[in-house]
Formats: sequence, structure tokens, C-alpha cells
Amino acid sequence: MRYRIAVLVMGAVASVIFAAGAQSRTVIDRPQAVTASGTVTLSGWSVSTTEEDLLQQVVRAFERTHPNIDVKYDAIPNYDQAMLAKFSARQPPDVFYLNSEKAPTWISQGLIAPLNSYISKTKFNTKPFYPSLLRAFKQNGKTYGFPKDWSPLGMEINTQLLARVGGKAPKTWAQLTAVAKKLKPLMTGTAKPICLSAEWQRALMFVYQNKGVILKNGNPQFTSAAVRQAINFYVGLQRAGLGDTPAKLGVGWCGEAIGKEKAAIAFEGNWAFPYLPDTFPNVKWRFFPVPKGKVPATLAFTVSYSTSPASKNKDAAWVLITYLTGKAGMRLWTSKGLALPARSDVKVAFPAPSRAPLLAQAKYARVWLWPDGWDKVWSVGNNELSAVMEGKQTVNGMLSRLQSEARSVK
Amino acid sequence: MATVAKKRGTTLGRESVREALVGYAFVFLPIASFLIFFMYPLGYAAYISFFDWGALGKIESVGLGNYRELSHDFLFGKALKNTLRYAVIVVPSQMALGLLLAVIVNNALRFRTFFRAAFYFPAIAGSIAITAVATYILSADGLLNALISAITGETYDHSWFGESDTALQSIMALNIWTTSGTMMLFYLASLQSIPTDVYEAAAIDGAGAWRTFWKVTFPLLKPAHFFVAVVSVIGALQVFDQAFFVSGGGGGPNYSTMTIVLYLYNTAIEGARFGYASAIGIVLFAIIATLTLIQRLLFGRAEVA
Repeated sequence: MRYRIAVLVMGAVASVIFAAGAQSRTVIDRPQAVTASGTVTLSGWSVSTTEEDLLQQVVRAFERTHPNIDVKYDAIPNYDQAMLAKFSARQPPDVFYLNSEKAPTWISQGLIAPLNSYISKTKFNTKPFYPSLLRAFKQNGKTYGFPKDWSPLGMEINTQLLARVGGKAPKTWAQLTAVAKKLKPLMTGTAKPICLSAEWQRALMFVYQNKGVILKNGNPQFTSAAVRQAINFYVGLQRAGLGDTPAKLGVGWCGEAIGKEKAAIAFEGNWAFPYLPDTFPNVKWRFFPVPKGKVPATLAFTVSYSTSPASKNKDAAWVLITYLTGKAGMRLWTSKGLALPARSDVKVAFPAPSRAPLLAQAKYARVWLWPDGWDKVWSVGNNELSAVMEGKQTVNGMLSRLQSEARSVK
Repeated sequence: MATVAKKRGTTLGRESVREALVGYAFVFLPIASFLIFFMYPLGYAAYISFFDWGALGKIESVGLGNYRELSHDFLFGKALKNTLRYAVIVVPSQMALGLLLAVIVNNALRFRTFFRAAFYFPAIAGSIAITAVATYILSADGLLNALISAITGETYDHSWFGESDTALQSIMALNIWTTSGTMMLFYLASLQSIPTDVYEAAAIDGAGAWRTFWKVTFPLLKPAHFFVAVVSVIGALQVFDQAFFVSGGGGGPNYSTMTIVLYLYNTAIEGARFGYASAIGIVLFAIIATLTLIQRLLFGRAEVA
């Protein structure tokens, strides 16, 4: 009898604890404090029909658990242009993609709604998000969105060619140069060991690896030694004949260079999928972490789900955002191996060729994120870098031009 | 007599009012749409060019600030230089090629209709579609380089759009070719309105084909020259889509494809700075208006048909 009571009591205690646990999880994952219903419009851009179909699946899963909310999803072509027109007309979608690159400008113009009151009201747990990704959508202590997924730059290597030069992926700058030198005699025609984009969205990674800083307390540091050294290393790879730009290799971008075997090494991200395996199924390659300089570092790009102050159904928009960026929603969204989860508590088994090396770089990835008005600085930067790689501009000339351009941003 | 005249006068007056009303009724819709969709946005753009203007509207008044900023804007300087260089090459080439094609198809040659259609075809095909095909032909391992390699016997791998020496020039060539059909059409219409007796007179005076063309046809085409020149200059100064496509919007490599309208687009869409973008638009408008007036002076007012 006593034994039975003990079991009963233990069971009761256990169920109370379990229920409490479940209760707290529910509060975190599916906010109860906001009762929402009605229609929510959801918009983003579309990379592929595969991605669109997958998002539709996630949306249907949401509608099953939230029968009061009806989600209307559509992918918008010419996204930035169309969204600015919708904002101007005060008719933006309720929930939409926000590119980290655009976040500072759009937030400072009041196009994006801060979510802090909802976060505190519903006790939404923001801890699981990778902090560097979440920071991209914060301004003056306010949070304007939660990252839906992300990608760092990884190192794509043609594994067949790598096997012929010892099979070891380079882990440092010196090893990168050494491997490229060994690969050089194996490349034919216009092909080169490394594909080097004339873009700061790639080259900056080396600056960070060299402990370089672009903005220190709001002051541009383009002419600092650390930046110059890193860019000299990047451009030096080309000058030494170890790499070249996509244009010189006869391709549109470096991912294509891997596919067409115009290069054996390229620095790209998760967007290589499903393009590369679909278009060039016979090329054997995989991702490796990028080599490190003085410190390990890579660049990252991310996109959030956000809403606007003009949204007609903010409560339902919030519920949808917390589902899509919550644990269950993100697990479903990333389960097909299309996107990398932006939450550390979502673990995904990736199909081969594995994306795990990309995800492993989360701790030292730095988001491409600049103050409002810097789009022009990088427009100048990429034109200057292409001039440098054509031999028409010096690295120092480019850096002083960038320094003065960055200083002129108000 | 006087009463008759007076009566006829009033009838005519009433008639002309009626005619005018009918006339205005016919042009009401086009005029209204012109005012609403062209004049109003133009005026509004001029207005917001004096403001720091974002996606939600006015941020603050900056007076002539946007224009002052433009005057020492490094990228705008590059865009202006490229656009003017582009126009200087493209306009005369387009006019010459258009005239040549028009003269060819104005002759009684075999398959004339076929040639007329063939020469005009690039003008109706979408410019982006043509540019997309051209990027393949002009890429480092494209058809053009394969032809050059085959002829010279040496490997040639120049990326025509990918290198700053040839990027803008390739767009120029592409546009001269695609728009020459339209110019041909304008010239052809004018060629056919030249009366045959002037040619007969020239023939009697013993003028050959070459002389007849330069002494008779070419001067009589003056109104067409004016019209084609204006249309061509406006089109050239507004070059955008090929530059956007070829450079992926960046205006590269080495600023070679940065044009005024591409810079305007980037300012408005990438930077969400509508006031500044409008100032760029107004400056472009001023340039086009000035050049059109100069052309009018050059070709003479009376000749405008």
C-alpha cells in the first residue's frame, strides 16, 4: 500500500514537474499571451521553386497548429524595389524577409517594427539565436526581426583535384598558397587554382582573419596596416597566377567556376545548393572551413522575418514570426537541408555533400553589416577592387579612395 | 453682301469652336494621362529633390543640399563621364547605320520586305534577352573568342563584358545594332516622302548616285536628322538595362558600366534615398533638355516637321 502511495505521489510530482516544463516550453515556443486570428500576408524573394515549395510546407504546418490564422504567402520578384513601393503605399506584407544588408537603412527609415514589447509580453526566448546573427537586426537596443537562416562563406574545394595534391585542405594562409601552387600545373586552359571574386563581400573575410577592423567607433580604418596586408594577400594570390576573377575564368561567379572546373577552390556559401549538385552532378567537391589567418574568421549573410509598423494584423504577424523562427518551425524549414538554422538548438542532419563545415563556423562568423548609406561605399569598393585586379589601380590607391568615400557618409 | 459675310463669319466661328471642342475631346485622354503620369511625377521629383526623402516620405528639408552633394559625388562624376562618352559614340553611329539601312531597303532590291523586317527585328526583341545572349557570345570562352581564336590560330580569352576596357564599348556596339532598326524606320519614312522629280532633275544635270545622295537626299532629310538625333540622344543618355544586367547592378568592372540612370536606380533602391535620386533625375533632365535645344538650333527651327 505504502509502496503504491509512494508511486502515486512520485507520479503526481513527476507529472506536475513535466506539466510545468511543458508549460514553460509552450510559453517559449508558442506564445499564449497574444491571441491572434485573421489573415497574415507573408512575402519574400524566391531563389528556387524548391525553396518556395518548402516554405509552403512550413506555412501549412503553421496553419494546422494555428487554425485561426490564415497565411497568404507569395514570392515577390524585384524584391527591394517592390517592397519600397509597398512601404511607400503603407501596404507592406505583414511578415517579410529582411536582408541584413538592408536592415540598417530600412530600420532607420521606420519601415520595420520593433518587436521588444511582444518579446517581453510573450516571454519569447531569444537566447538560442546565434548572437552575431541576431545583432544584425538590432538597433539602439531594439530587436527588429529574428534570423530565419544564414550562411557563412566556406571554402569549396574540388576533392578530386585536392586528392592529386595530397588530399589535405588548407587550414592557414600559407597552406592555401602552398596547395594552390601544387594545383597550378593541374589546371588547363583559362582555369586557375582559386576563384577570386573582385568583391569585398569575399575579400573582407581575409581582413577579419588578419585582425583587421573597418569601422572603429564609427571611424573608417581602410588605410590601416591590417586591412592593407590582408588585401595584398588576396590580390597577391592573383598576381602570383594562383587565382583569377570569375570574368577572367569565363564564368559568372565562383560557384560556377567550381561546377565548370575553371577553379579548384572558391569561397562561397550555402547558396551553392541546390545549384551545384543539380547543374554539375559529376563534379566532386565539398565545403571546408575557410583557412585562418592570425585568427579564424569568416563573413556571414543572414535574413530575418520582420514586420512593419503599417501591418494591419500585428498580433498574428508576431505569432507567425515566432513560429517560423521558433524551434519547431526552423527545424522543419531547415530539415530538407536547404538552409542553415540560425538557432543553436536546432540540429539538422545534412545530406551529402555536407554543410556541417559551414555550420561549424558559426562561432567566428561575422555578419556583413554596415551603417545606413554604406551601400555606396561598397559600390565604390567593388569597382576599385575590380580595377586593382585588372592592374589599373593600386591596393593603396583603392584603400585611400574607400577611406575618403566612407568618411563622406553622413 | 456684308450681312452674308457676317453670317458666314459667325457660322464659321461656331463651326470652329465645335471643331476645337471635338479636337480637345479626342486628345483629352492622352493629354490627361500625359499630365498625370509625366508632368505630375516630373514636378513632384523636382519638389522632393530639395528634401532628404525616404520610403515613407519627407525626412527633412535640405534645400539645394542634394545638388551640392551631387557636384562633388565621385560615383556621379564617373556615371556622367561614362554616359556622355556613350552618347558621343552611340548617337552618330546609330544615325549613320540607320540611314545606311534605310537607303538599302529603299532600293528596289530582291526580298526587300524580308530585309526590312530583318533589320528591324533587333528593335522589337527585348533588350535584356539580347543582352543575355550577348553575355554568352562575349564571355571569355564564348563564341566570339572561339571565332577569333580560329581565325588567328592563337587562344583568345578576353572577357568582353568582364573587363573595363571593353565593357562599355560592348554595350555600345550592342545598342547601336539593336536600335539601328528603329532609326532605319524613321529615315525610311522620310526617304519615301522625297518627291521623285528632284531626283529626275539631278539625273538630267548628270549627277551620279553618290553625288545625288550627298547633294539631294541628305539635305532633304534634314527634318529626319533632327528627329532621329533627338530620339537617339535621349535614348543614349538614359542607357540602363544593359549596364544593369552586365554588371549585376554594380556598374563594374572599374566603374566602366556605371551610367547616370544606373546610379539613380542604385541610389533609390539600394540606398532608399529618393530625394537624392530625384536630384540625379532632374540633372539628367536638364542635360537632355539642353542638348535637345542645342540640336534644335543646329538643325534650324523651320525644318522641324
